[in-house]
Order: sequence, then C-alpha cells, then structure tokens
Amino acid sequence: MSGDSAASDSGMPGDRPKRPVGRTAAGPRVRRLFAGGLLQGGVQGSPVLRLFLRWVRRPLLPVMRLWRRNIQLRVVATTLVMSLGVVLLLGFVVIGQVRNGLLDAKVRASQSQATGGFAVAKQRADEASGTNGTGADTAPATADGSTDGTAGADGRPTQNVIQWMSDLVESLSSGGAGAFDVVTLPVGDDSGGGRSPRGSGNVNPTSSVPADLRDRVNSGTTAAQSYTRIVYSNGKDSQPALVIGKQVNDPNGRPYELYYLFPLTQEEKSLSLVKGTLATAGLFVVVLLGAIAWLVVRQVVTPVRMAAGIAERLSAGRLQERMKVTGEDDIARLGEAFNKMAQNLQGKIQQLEDLSRMQRRFVSDVSHELRTPLTTVRMAADVIHEARADFDPVTARSAELLADQLDRFESLLADLLEISRFDAGAAALEAEPIDLREVVRRVVGGAEPLAERKGTRIRVVGDQQPVVAEADARRVERVLRNLVVNAVEHGEGKDVVVKMAAAGGAVAVAVRDYGVGLKPGEATRVFSRFWRADPARARTTGGTGLGLSIALEDARLHGGWLQAWGEPGGGSQFRLTLPRTADEPLRGSPIPLEPKDSRRNRGPDGSAAARAGQEKRATVPAQQGGGHAPALPPRGPVTPAADPTALPGNGNGARVVPRPGRPDPVRPDHGGPDQVGTDIARPESERPGTRTGPEDSTEPGEAFRGR
Amino acid sequence: MGADREGGARRRPWRAAAYTALGVVLLAGCASMPDSGDLRDVESTPRQDTGVRVFAMPPADDATPGEIMQGFLEALTSDDPAYDTARKYLTTDAARTWRPERSATVLANGPSIETDCRAGNREATNSITCVLTGSRVATVDARQAYQPAGGTYRKKVHLARDAKTGQWRIDELPDGVVMGKSDFQRNYTSVDKYYFASGTSVGEAGEPVAVADPVFVRSKVDPMTQMVGSLLNGPTSWLSPVVRSSFPTGTALQKGVSGLAPDDQNRLTVPLNLKESQVTATKCEEMATQVLFTLRNLAPTLESVELQGIGGHRLCDLTEERAESAAWHGSAKRPEYLYYVDGKRRLVRMPTGSTGTGSVPVPGALGEGDRTLQSVAVSRDEHSVAAVDDDGASLHVTSLTSDSTLGNALVTSKGATPDERLTTPSWDARGDLWVADRDRGAPALYVVEHGVTRAEKVAVPDLPGDIKDVRVAADGVRVALVVEKDGKQSLLIGRIERDDRTGEAPSVVELRSAAPDLEQVSALTWAGDSRLLVVGQEQGGVQQMRYVQVDGATLDGPAPGALPGVKAITASEDDRVPLVAYSDDGIVRLPTGAQWQKVDKDGTAPVYPG
Repeated sequence: MSGDSAASDSGMPGDRPKRPVGRTAAGPRVRRLFAGGLLQGGVQGSPVLRLFLRWVRRPLLPVMRLWRRNIQLRVVATTLVMSLGVVLLLGFVVIGQVRNGLLDAKVRASQSQATGGFAVAKQRADEASGTNGTGADTAPATADGSTDGTAGADGRPTQNVIQWMSDLVESLSSGGAGAFDVVTLPVGDDSGGGRSPRGSGNVNPTSSVPADLRDRVNSGTTAAQSYTRIVYSNGKDSQPALVIGKQVNDPNGRPYELYYLFPLTQEEKSLSLVKGTLATAGLFVVVLLGAIAWLVVRQVVTPVRMAAGIAERLSAGRLQERMKVTGEDDIARLGEAFNKMAQNLQGKIQQLEDLSRMQRRFVSDVSHELRTPLTTVRMAADVIHEARADFDPVTARSAELLADQLDRFESLLADLLEISRFDAGAAALEAEPIDLREVVRRVVGGAEPLAERKGTRIRVVGDQQPVVAEADARRVERVLRNLVVNAVEHGEGKDVVVKMAAAGGAVAVAVRDYGVGLKPGEATRVFSRFWRADPARARTTGGTGLGLSIALEDARLHGGWLQAWGEPGGGSQFRLTLPRTADEPLRGSPIPLEPKDSRRNRGPDGSAAARAGQEKRATVPAQQGGGHAPALPPRGPVTPAADPTALPGNGNGARVVPRPGRPDPVRPDHGGPDQVGTDIARPESERPGTRTGPEDSTEPGEAFRGR
Repeated sequence: MGADREGGARRRPWRAAAYTALGVVLLAGCASMPDSGDLRDVESTPRQDTGVRVFAMPPADDATPGEIMQGFLEALTSDDPAYDTARKYLTTDAARTWRPERSATVLANGPSIETDCRAGNREATNSITCVLTGSRVATVDARQAYQPAGGTYRKKVHLARDAKTGQWRIDELPDGVVMGKSDFQRNYTSVDKYYFASGTSVGEAGEPVAVADPVFVRSKVDPMTQMVGSLLNGPTSWLSPVVRSSFPTGTALQKGVSGLAPDDQNRLTVPLNLKESQVTATKCEEMATQVLFTLRNLAPTLESVELQGIGGHRLCDLTEERAESAAWHGSAKRPEYLYYVDGKRRLVRMPTGSTGTGSVPVPGALGEGDRTLQSVAVSRDEHSVAAVDDDGASLHVTSLTSDSTLGNALVTSKGATPDERLTTPSWDARGDLWVADRDRGAPALYVVEHGVTRAEKVAVPDLPGDIKDVRVAADGVRVALVVEKDGKQSLLIGRIERDDRTGEAPSVVELRSAAPDLEQVSALTWAGDSRLLVVGQEQGGVQQMRYVQVDGATLDGPAPGALPGVKAITASEDDRVPLVAYSDDGIVRLPTGAQWQKVDKDGTAPVYPG
C-alpha cells in the first residue's frame, strides 16, 4: 500500500526539471535577448559593462515579470500604444488638412488683394508721369530729354520719385493695417531716387523678402509668391508670412519691386488652436481607451484568474474544489464544464482508489491467511525432512525439494507482507544518525561466504572518512545487502566495488559489478516486482523477485533515491543516495550514476588499467572534495556520467526520484492512485493470478512521468 | 432615526439628478457662444504703426552724380538717427561739417535737381554743381520751431570726384535737411513742450501757468529723448521773451542717455546733469511738471516722472495728479458749464457733461433776460461774466452771483453798425478780459485787467489791418487775432508782452500767420494748448471748419463734420468736452464720436469759459 503513495508523490519532483524547461520555452524573446545577447556579450566584454547591464536590468526584472504574467497589463499597454498611434496619425492628417485649408483661403484672398495693389501702383505711376508731362513747363526741375551719356537709362531722372514712392507705399499699406505690409525694393543693385528699400509697419524689407523670390520677380513681369518670415525692425517677433511680389515701373519708367507681405499670424493661431484641441482630445481618447480596455479585460481576466486558481488547487490534489458559476456566458460555460470534469475525475479517482485499496487488502489478507497453513505444512515438511534418510533416494530428494521450496515460499511470503506494509503506508522510518561504513562492513561481511563461493572479491572504496546520515540502519542494511548480493550473484566472479561518498547534504553508496550488465531499458525495470533479467534461470538463484522493489521502497521511505545503471556486458551500478538529514530534499548525489569506467566513458579501445585509473579519478573527488563537483549538476554535456539528475531517457540510466512530501503513513487509504492506474493498464500475464502488485517493468518511469 | 434615513435616501437621488442637470447645463454653455458673462477691462492694445520707413542705402559704386544726389536726398527721408547713411554720400570733410539738425526745409513736392547737374559737364571734369529747387512750404529751425514759408527754394550743391577712388561725392551743401511735404509729415511729428508764463500766476496758491510751445521732432528717432532735449534747450525764439523755464541754464541730459521710455508702471526716469544742491524742491517740481506735461503728448499713459541728478540721486518725482495742481494747464481744466443766451434773452447754462437739452438761467442780472445780449464771455474760474449788449456798443462785467447787477460799461464803441462795434470778449487764465472795437474810425484792442479795472488800449505794432475778432489763449501770452485788410481776412497769432514794472498796458507783438491759406475767418476758438478751431474759407473755397496749429502747421487730425452757416463756435482746451456751434440750426453740439446734435433752436452766443 505504501507503494501507491510513494509512486504518487514521486511525481512532484518529477515536475521540477520540467518547470524551468517550460518557462524558458515559453519565455519571450526578450529574455533570450538578455540572456544570450546582452548578458553573455557583456560577460565577454568588460566587467564594467556587465555591472552596468545588471544595474540596468535589475529594476526592470519585476516589470518584465509582471509583463509576462499579466495579460491585463499587456492588453492595456497594447491598447494604449495602438490608440496613441491612431490618434497621432489622425492628428497629423487633420492638422495637415486644416493647414492646407487655411492656407488656401489665405492665399486666394492675398492674391486678389496683391493684384489689386499692383494695379493701383501701376495706375499711380501712369498718372504721375502724365501730370509730370503737363507740369514740365512750370517745374524748373523737370528736364526734357537730356542727351548726357551719364544719364544712361534715365529717361527723365529729374522726375522726383522719392516722395512719390513713400506716398505710394503709405497709401497702399494704409488699406491693410495689420493685415498686410507693403515693401518696395530696387531691382538688382539699382540705385538713385526712390530706390532705397521702403517698408510699412516696421518691416525690414531686405531680410523679409527671400532672395529667390526677388530673382523670380526680376526675371519676369508676372507676380510671384513665396513663403517667408517677416523680420521687424522694432524688435517685434518675426512671424511667418505669405509674400507676393511683382515688378512695377515708377513714373520714370524705371522698374522696382513691389511686395505685399501677408502675415500668417491669424492662421498660425487657428492652427495652434486646432493643434491644442487635437492634443487634448487625443490625450483624453488615449487615456479613456486605456481605462476602457482595463475595465473590459478585467471582466474577462477575473474569472479566468479564478479558474486558474481553482485548477491549480485541483491539480494540487484538492479534488473537492469547484468554480463558482454565475450567469450563462462563455465564462460560465467554461466553469460548468470545468466543474463537471473535476467531478468526473474525482469520482473516477475515488473509484480506482477503492479498488486499489481492496486489492491491497486482499494481498495482505492472502499473505496472512497463507501463513497459518504454511506453518503446519512447514512442521510436517520438517518432520519429513528429518526422516529423509530413511526414504528411498527419490523420496528423499522430494523431501529436500519440499524443504527448499518451503523456505522459498516463506521468504516470498515475508517479502509480500513487507511490500504490502509499504503499500499500506504502514512502514515507519526509525531514523538515527548512523555511519554507513558500519552498515557496509556488516553487509560485505555477510556476503563474503557467497562471494567466496562465486570467486568474487568485494572491494570497498571511500571508507576513509565517516559517512554519516540520518537513516534507519535496518532498512539501509537490507537495501545494501540486497544490492551486494545481487552484484555478487550477477558479477560472474568479477570484482564488486562498493563505493561510498558524502557531499552537499547527501550520502551515497554505489555498488558496481562487471557482470552481464543490463540491457537498454532494463535499468528502469529492475525495480519492478517479480521482474527478472533472465526468466530462464530465474528460479535457480533463490531470489523472490521482490528484493529490489522493497529496496526501492526503503530508499523512498528515507527520502532518498535508488537508481540503477548498466550496460550490456559492461556490468551495472546501483546507487543509493540518502539525504544527510531525514527531511532534507535531495538535490544531487555525490557519486555519478554512470561510473567513470563505463564503456561509453572509456571509449572503444579502453583497457582495464585505464578503467581503474579513471574510476579512481572519478571517485576521489567525490569522497574528499566535500562533493561540490559531482553533487552540483554540471552545465555542459561533457561529463554526462556525473549528472545525477539525468533523465532516464539518456540511455541506460534509471532514476527513482525521492518523495519529499510523504503523505501520512497511518492513512494508507489516501495513497497515490497512480499505482492502481498502472496496475489496470498492465494486467498480470506472467505471474499467478494472486499477484496484485504492479509488475509493469516501465512503472517507475511512467510513475513520475505521469504527473 | 428611521425617518431620517429615509429622508436622506430620498434626497440622494434628487441631489444626483441636480448635479447631472447642472453638468448638462454647463456643458451646453460651453458648446455655444456666450451671451452674458463677467465684466472685464479691455487692455489697450498698441496701435499698429503703418508708417512707411525708408531704409537708406549707401551709394553704389560708380554712381553718376545724378544718382548720388537722388540717393542722398532719399537718405534724408530715412529714419537714420544721425543721418549716417546720408553722410556716406558726402566727402569726408563735408560729412564732418554738415549739420543736418540745423534746419529742415519742407518743399511742396520735394526737391528737384536742376538740369545743369548733368548737362554741360564733360566726363573729364571732376567737379559738378547741382542746384536743388522746389517751392518752399515751411522751415523748421534749429530750435525745431515750425514756420510757414513761401517762395522758391534754390540751393547749390557741389559734387566732386574723389581723386583716389574715382567716386562722385558731395563736398559742398547747405546745412539742414530738405524733403517733400508728405515725407515731412511722415517723419516729423508736432509735440507741445511746456514752459511757464513769466510773471503770471493764478489762483490762491499762485500756480504758474503752463504755456505750450509746439515743436517738430523726428517721430521715429527716439522722440522722447529728443523732446526732453528740446525742452531743456529752452523755448522757441518766438515764445522765449514771455516764458521761463524752470531748468537752470545749461541743464542737459546726462551724457549717453538715449531711448527714454516709460517702464511697466508708466514711470519715466530722466537723468539730468544737475547736482542735488542746484535745485530746490519747488523748482524741481516745476521741472518735473514741464517734463511730464511735455511727454504726455507722446505717451498719454505716462503717470509719473522722476528726475535724477548726477550719480543717480533722485532729485524729485512727480505724479500726474500732483502736476495738475502744481501748474495751471488749460487742457486739464474741464469747464463746468456751457453758457448761451436762450430765446428769452436770458443767459443760461448747462453742465458740460449733459447729454440732454435742459438748461437753467445763470444767477444774477444776466439770467433775468431783460437785455439784448450780443455776445458773452465767462471767466475761466466761472465767477464773472462779460457781456456785450446794445448791439455791441457796450461791455459790462458782472459776477455770477444772485445779487449781482450789471455795472457801468467798461468799454463802449461808437461804431456805425453792430458789425463795427465790439467783438466777442475773451478771458485768459489770470482773469484779464480782452475785447476789440471794430469801429472804423477808432479801431482798438482793449484789455481789462482782472476784469474790473478800467479798460486799457493795447498796442499792436505792425498790425496789417483791422482787428475783426480776438481770442486770447488761456495762458495769457498768446492771442489769436482775425485781421482784415482789403477785404481779405487772415488769422494771426500774437505774443502778449507785459511789463509789470512800468505798469503800462501790454502789447501784442510779432504777429505771425497761423493759417496762411485762409481768406475768410468767420469764427474761431481755442481748442487746445496750441490749437485753434477755425471756421473759414480758402481762396475760392467754401466755408469749412478745421483745426489750425498756432505755428501754422497743418494738422493730420480729422476736422469736425461740416455744418452749414456757422456764426459762432466754442470749444474748450480739454478735448473731451463737446464742441458747440451756433449755426443756422441754432445751437448744436458735437460730442466725441457722434454727429452734431441740436441743443437749443433759439439760442445764440454759446461759450465755454474763456
């Protein structure tokens, strides 16, 4: 019965290697970036950089963790980012549209205004030249067509345009105080009367009109426009403006440039109003969308989180947990289905548990019941055996056989009782600090006669220092005796090495033989009940087939591991690892499961000498070095032999995991149900029908894989 | 308790509904334009300056003499503070000796360059004489006094070709600047600076009387500093015999001071080269008063002035309120009543701020209406009234008290027709009453000192004709006379010189024309410290009403709306007081920013005090 609970618990540690694997697999690329790109690169770079990266990363870690775990945060953040993008895009489009609209209207109005102004300027020039012609007789200053060469292009240079120009600019600009300003500039580097730059409204003419516009205006007689920045001469801030210019003639027929500058102050104000409005509205939209997303996601996430919590508790074994179901929506359906599933599971498990309990009791009862008749038979057989000398040889032989088989029957019955005690969880650990060297010495001493018979020498390695652990001496001795006897029996007369080591809160004893070894896959099956490597010679060696099963149960009772390794023709090694103190969980073993002198480690052309040396090398640190090197799982794949946590899948190694949280042994009813499950899955075919114990050779592996 | 809770529960949804309704109302308010709201002051925004600026350009390389002349003349119209660009057209020597601030000549159409600037000169010669001509409108002298002028302007300018660079430059030219009339109006502005009438004080406290002295300064070249400098320089030559300045001789701005401007609190600090020991408190207050009155023309919001001596010591400061009480200032005295003679021949008065037509007879003899009054004048303190009755034959003065009686005639005229007898009398601030007798046989200008003593005949040397009307300015140092000669009338401003020691009657000297283009002046009144409102007509023109500056300059400001048949007009120095005229429609008034309004159809002779 105790075996059930052991099997069910063994699943818990089985999760352990899985979990980090699962997390790294599910971890986002960010983590890989940190781990692979940044951190390792930093390691290779400089320690300063590494420190810096660590300093940067440290405050980010909780954030990243929250990011990974919180779907609500992710949804809200995504919503915020996306709505921000949408708002920005929309803002740009709207602002662009408004800007274009404002400019279009302004440009159209400005063009008509400027065109009118150019016409007025031309008209006034015509008028002035007309009046000048009539006034030429009276005005003494007026010249009539001088022929002087210096006059050059000046047809009538004495026509006084200085005042006329100023008047013109003033009258043109008086129509639009604030709305526009008027500027005149000379064409090119023309100089003389009226050629000085003039500007209304404190505009600085030369720096306000762009040079390329002047070039354009000079090159033709059509009006041209451009955008510019008005610079004021009285310290006012410059402002953007539309400038429209044209080349116009003065009363003397000489051209000058006339520009209308329309400040875009109002348009800028409108645009900034729109911008401000959009920014405010956009901010509100983004914030509100974030809040909405938060609320909506919370409606979904809250029941999901509840379901996750319930499922976690359910998976932790609390099968009576149920979800609260309200309403009829999808979440409610999920909850109903979940509850139904949980109920079915619970029912089925209960049913199987009952069945398993019945079977165990049956085995126990059968063993007990068989004892009484067996005692009688034993007494009768003893009598017959005593008197065999009087029998004829055939009968005498039968009497001997009867006695032998009765011995065997009795030990089988004893083993069965023992294992049923385990299955029932009735086995109690009486742990006290013991020195394993004593135990090993007793075991080796006990096995000496058998070894001598087999011609095998038993060597003990690693007994220079005490190997102390809190353990039940009787059980440990039983386990070790079983292992040593097995090794001697299967050692084919070769040496058997018993190795001891202690490190990192764990002690280990490994028994190594160089016999036939184990075929691939057998390393996990050796602990199965009634399993034999070679069924043909099974019954000759006198074992019950339950020894290793009991040993395994003993190891588990200690919270330790019992693992087997073997290779065909290369011998095998069984390793018992126990925690140094009773309730301490095991993290590793001081002795590698696969010995250094395995064929794989030795290579194809390895020799015995090399084997011995390597063995020594492998074991010495395990014994003396406090065990840090072999005890801690190495990162690299270079030394697979030293990996105590290697999975069974890596070839011919087997590992039976400990059970840290052992359930209450006085309540065998609540034992692990898995045992029953495997039992059903693999009906007995080899053994007699009375066998109810699990025999599946793959059981230990499946046992912890299943959970 | 249960009832309480019940009530609270009932109130809660009610309150929530109220809040919701309030929110909806507020939101609805935000969604439409407000049609009511709180009151708020409108901050005055600075007026947009649309004035044209000319940015002078230095002479181009290889410019012809004609271009040099044109460029130079154009540079004179720019805002260059010291005419630096214009000087680039001059040779080095000429630039050093040329004094542009010496005068400004205003020509009607700007200066023209006579033909011989170019004609008749060969390329080889290095010397050309140009002649600037034009028809003169006015001149501004070194003290910035404007003087209308006529005739032709003709000045020679000599250009020489620089031997080294081969560039033409002006090497001989007259001092001062010359420009066209519109350029002058753009670049210069008329500002009154204030002095005190010498030997005159009014009131019980003996306040000095401020006299406005209009000058022209360049409006875009730091006018404040220019005005302070001009004020310190002393009054214009025409006015200087009758006014005094409180500033000690030699007072000037500290060296390097420019860009005077009021600060945020409308305070102005004027650093002077005076020591603290040089000025007494009363003198300093007078000086600050002059500065404040002067600069308030440029910066109407100026509230106080602080004078600083050498080393930044505060000499004194003066706020606007104190300044008004420190000196008598015509434009700051708002008259209390408008007086006129109503249809019942009574002298009535109505408050100046009144918008209605209600009037009450004045207390005393004139309010009883038993005499035919041709014209009246109320003294500035509104205690006395002078009346011309009997179709202009006699002038009486009486007080505005209920028991007053009309005394003996102070002045009588023997003119043949009412038009040849006494004119409308006029009071000045010290209480002198001026009146002219238009008798063809014995024309005369009389002054009645303090309105009580005997009338004295005033000597008017150089009088070009017969006085047809007289208005004395509030300050008592200037008098506006309408003089007729050969059927043409002209408006003349004369200076009143008194010699208090000899006790002789004052005389009116140095008459000058204030409106040379007017041929007929039918009515006039003072309408500001240095401004007259005249109804008259130009040669070949129609009757019109316009403002005239005492120095003869034309003002840019708009004239009052046209009014037919104006026979008399009255205004106050304070321009917030509505203009009142006696026209075909009776007595009408023109409040600020409105149209003419009828006040009394049958009334005649409207006058404000003065």
